[in-house]
Amino acid sequence: MPGLFDRLQNQIEDKRREGGITALDLADLPPALRKIMRLMLRQLQMNYPQLCEAMDGMPENERLSRADLDRSLDTLTQQAWLTRLGEGAKAVYKVNLKAKSGSTLASGIWSALDDKLKK
Amino acid sequence: MGKIVSIHSFRGGTGKSNTTANLAAQAALAGKRVGVVDTDIQSPGIHVLFGLDENSMGRTLNDFLHGQCEIKEVAHPVGERAATEKDAEGRKKLAGTNLWLIPSSIRGREISRVLREGYDVNRLNEGLQNLISDMKLDYLFIDTHPGLNEETLLSIAISDILLIILRPDNQDFQGTAVTVDIARSLDVTNLLLMVNKAVPNKYDYNDLKQQIENAYKAPLTGILPLSFDMADNASKDLFSLRFPDHDWSKELRRVAAAVLEVK
Repeated sequence: MPGLFDRLQNQIEDKRREGGITALDLADLPPALRKIMRLMLRQLQMNYPQLCEAMDGMPENERLSRADLDRSLDTLTQQAWLTRLGEGAKAVYKVNLKAKSGSTLASGIWSALDDKLKK
Repeated sequence: MGKIVSIHSFRGGTGKSNTTANLAAQAALAGKRVGVVDTDIQSPGIHVLFGLDENSMGRTLNDFLHGQCEIKEVAHPVGERAATEKDAEGRKKLAGTNLWLIPSSIRGREISRVLREGYDVNRLNEGLQNLISDMKLDYLFIDTHPGLNEETLLSIAISDILLIILRPDNQDFQGTAVTVDIARSLDVTNLLLMVNKAVPNKYDYNDLKQQIENAYKAPLTGILPLSFDMADNASKDLFSLRFPDHDWSKELRRVAAAVLEVK
């Protein structure tokens, strides 16, 4: 029987699978959100102090204030475009890209193709 | 952190894979640690330029995407393999370089499986980023599918340098405008352009350069000629290594220099 941790982990995984952002959606984000998402795409996961440090390392005109960073992280997490594991300063953020869906062609077409390819 | 260089063209047939393979080879010969990923899952081809076929390919990006192996296990050591090359004079020159290829599967069933089932895009991105850190790469070149699809858009979004290839053709000019717009809206910082398959002696180099740079507001790094020699090579070898004095190769090296100059 799965424990509490397993169930929570499964819930997080389910949420990751259901939601997520596409690369094209990134283009439509406000600049502050896009900046964070691009950073996260390269770093894969970061905790809050690391995000603050990355912001501080940016040129002044590109930097987000702490308040803007916090607001942006909240928005991205609520949309399930970022996944937050843990709370407060220990929270770790991970980017959540939408899975590429499979073909919508009728399954019979794929079975027929598989049969042909087996030969 | 290593740089991601995405090579893209809006339309097919521009010479994207040939350019990617030759640029990666030039970077490796310049002493860089280089990876090349074929994200053209639907119609992979760059492995041919590195002398791999269905039987010699072993594990592929498809295996990684289906969770069957780690990304490092898919990296074929081109530099090691080059020492044993018999028929490819160009590739032989890569012996001892730090160059790895991550091919996509050329097996029909594997291609159809990805198309049928889709895949986890997070896993693709994590694989690419981990490859850079695990292999300590200076450059990761991504060969993309022409036009715009999920893999291509992701590669544009994560790239430090985007090189767009176009032919002097009105369809390419319009398509390139679309890609440039998308790259700008994804905040790509270094956008470079390259013309391939230009009819020799037809264009004034400076005029064409000015025309293209004015249209797209990005630097044109090279104009590579349409070449029968290149067609005759038929992807059997890395052209710029086999024929280093050819005009195509000289111009390719100019593009490679522009890529490597980006800070």
